Amino acid sequence: MRDLPTGSSLLALARDLLLRDLLPLLPEEARLDARLVANSMAIAERESIAGGKLVDDILRELQVLYDKDPGSEAQLLRRFARDLRVGAFEGSSRDRGAHTILWRLTIAKLRLANPRFLTANGFS
Amino acid sequence: MAGTASPQSDLQRERRAGLARFLAVASQASAVEITGLAPLKGGAIQENWATDAHFTGGALDGDQRLVLRTAAPTGVPASLDRLQEFAVLKAACAAGVTVPEPLFAGDDPAIFGKPFFIMRCVDGIAAAHRITRDPALESALPAIAERLGRELARIHTIRPPRADLAFLPAYEKVGPAQQIAGFRAYLDRHPVPRPVLEWGIRWLETHIPPPAEPVLCHHDFRTGNYTLDGVNLTGILDWEFAGWGDPHEDIGWFCCKGWRFARLDQEAGGISGRAPFYRGYESEAGRPIDPQRVFFWEVLASARWAIIALQQSDRYMIGGERNLDLALTGRRATECELEILMLLDPGGVPSDA
Repeated sequence: MRDLPTGSSLLALARDLLLRDLLPLLPEEARLDARLVANSMAIAERESIAGGKLVDDILRELQVLYDKDPGSEAQLLRRFARDLRVGAFEGSSRDRGAHTILWRLTIAKLRLANPRFLTANGFS
Repeated sequence: MAGTASPQSDLQRERRAGLARFLAVASQASAVEITGLAPLKGGAIQENWATDAHFTGGALDGDQRLVLRTAAPTGVPASLDRLQEFAVLKAACAAGVTVPEPLFAGDDPAIFGKPFFIMRCVDGIAAAHRITRDPALESALPAIAERLGRELARIHTIRPPRADLAFLPAYEKVGPAQQIAGFRAYLDRHPVPRPVLEWGIRWLETHIPPPAEPVLCHHDFRTGNYTLDGVNLTGILDWEFAGWGDPHEDIGWFCCKGWRFARLDQEAGGISGRAPFYRGYESEAGRPIDPQRVFFWEVLASARWAIIALQQSDRYMIGGERNLDLALTGRRATECELEILMLLDPGGVPSDA
């Protein structure tokens, strides 16, 4: 049991303080670095809220693709990458399923790392 | 501690003295005084130092604003060393490309600790986010894109064999197949599997276009690597990745989404549609651009940018360089992967993704 406020809400508050109150006080040459700090905090906040959901979801999809392979997420992801390198799904019934995982993985990662980029590319 | 010189200021003093002696000899001045020496921001892979100097006599008599370029503490593979970059810059300057005039190069570590070269400082800004966002520039950007197309075609007039560029690997050693092998070798060493990159690289492997007549490619010709003084182009910068290649390689790199910054809709470097850029290139080169080849190289550009992004974050993760900008750049690899999917699997987005 962790204490409240949660780490993610502390990050959100700290980021807000940085951008609203501290950034205007900084000299121009330090503001880019402050924005990078704020961006890092935003990524950490989103990852903290998401927890292990991304890993669990992708693991489930890979297990379906690989017919209940009991490997870990890292093992299955490595197997998936290796298969894609040699075109293992091309022309097979699993090709569409593999593409779906590629899209879901990418969109899920960007929701954490850069949701604005997703929006700018027409993804909600 | 008043009156006690820090090791940092001792280093600065030694560098200034060494540089003054070097510049005096190189320019045949009777004396040179370094009046300013400060690191410039930017340059993720190399260090650039604003260097102000007063020359007495010689080829540069008077006050001069110069830039010294040298290697950062850690770098990414595949970049030229500074003396090689200097030779490429001289070749580009001689071919009529708008560049900061290259002046002198030195490899004596006693002067600046590592090899370096000196060029003139050019006026203007290179900041891509400002260039792609500034409303005052917007109406001039298509003409700038056309000019950049002409500049690129001029770079591509430099062709092998060239004795002065003999250090550049032959095209057969750096063509698309070799680049693909390099990407995979990197991914094999990378701790986290990248399925999208693997899938995109597989597409590249199976769609390599027939060999091209090689030309000198800048290999990082993009918004952010040229300077604008108002609406005037003042210099094409950062030649560290130059090498022989397919001319469409530079066109694909310039147009790829990773370099459009604030304007993803402006496909030529975030500053205009492709038409003005292509028009400038074709009119100067006297030959048409092949859109299919550009498409291949644009997909490769996204893969290459993703690998570079991962390598940049390696400089923090492995090299220990305390640089937040570099660390965050690694996260941009996924943006490149989204672009690879959008280019190669249009309409393939699962409805519940």
